[in-house]
Amino acid sequence: MIRVAAIGDVHFSEDSRGRFTDYWSQLHKAADVFLIAGDLTTHGTTDQIDALLEEVRGVRVPIVAVLGNHDYHENKERELRLRLERNRVIVLEGESTVLTMGSYRLGIAGTKGFGGGFPGACASEFGEPEMKAFIRHTECLAERLASELKKLKCDYRIALLHYSPVSDTLQGERLEIYPFLGSYLLAEAVDSAGADLVVHGHAHLGKEKGLTAGGVPVRNVALPVLKHAYAVYHLGVREAEISDFKSEI
Amino acid sequence: MESNEQYLIGKVQRALATDPRVHKQDVTVTVCGSRIHISGQTSTNDRRRAIELVVSETVPEMEVRNELTVIEIAGPAQPEMIRD
Repeated sequence: MIRVAAIGDVHFSEDSRGRFTDYWSQLHKAADVFLIAGDLTTHGTTDQIDALLEEVRGVRVPIVAVLGNHDYHENKERELRLRLERNRVIVLEGESTVLTMGSYRLGIAGTKGFGGGFPGACASEFGEPEMKAFIRHTECLAERLASELKKLKCDYRIALLHYSPVSDTLQGERLEIYPFLGSYLLAEAVDSAGADLVVHGHAHLGKEKGLTAGGVPVRNVALPVLKHAYAVYHLGVREAEISDFKSEI
Repeated sequence: MESNEQYLIGKVQRALATDPRVHKQDVTVTVCGSRIHISGQTSTNDRRRAIELVVSETVPEMEVRNELTVIEIAGPAQPEMIRD
């Protein structure tokens, strides 16, 4: 079994220092890996990412993160990424990583994702150049996500996003802003490639649990939704492994 | 809702989203006569005060009622078995 801790939308700034220290420094007792689902900062300054880094220095398990829309606001996303990577945080954007945990290998494909909406009420690549660029951005990120998930050779696969792939986890948000909170193209990418779990943030007024159309569990780990220092998800033993175990008895 | 109330709410929400002191997009804003109510969640007391200040500066003619709550962070959530 692999134990996954996850949180999103911590929106760090100078006044956030110390809020998570006690919980995150003990995280290794509850989890084998720590995922951060974007919006690490309030608006993407280096001071804000440094405040976060002071907190994550106490974390004793691998940390994997994607950036969120707030982290892009100051156009310093490359600098933020560098600072995170210098402090052992793996940052994914259209990329993937495989972590070995005991006898298991966990693959994580990550992207910020983007908006566009959900079937029946979604944008498409039509009309003004600005609208085409908007939806094309989502399409590119979704294509990359599918490609990275497909190439993972591991026991368990997680898609780590900031924007939501499903509307299930947006319930509680105003319907009018759904197209700015996520896109079904991300869920389609996950279902086409396969995954054991999708983790996202961004929807502060949404709810934690959802499912893609293909049946992959989706969890919204935005801090205002969880109100916990992190969520913990256990990825259990595969049926094939149980069969192997039984055949050995 | 009267049109001037709608524009007032839009003005406040734009200010909250773009003001570098807060950059906050999930505040609920309602107008009741000469009062403006702001509600939702924020992460610290400093930010709660900063949001109120930005609203006060944006609509100085209005009385601001700050109903924002600060998120109390609990320890780790109970583990959930995703696949057994």
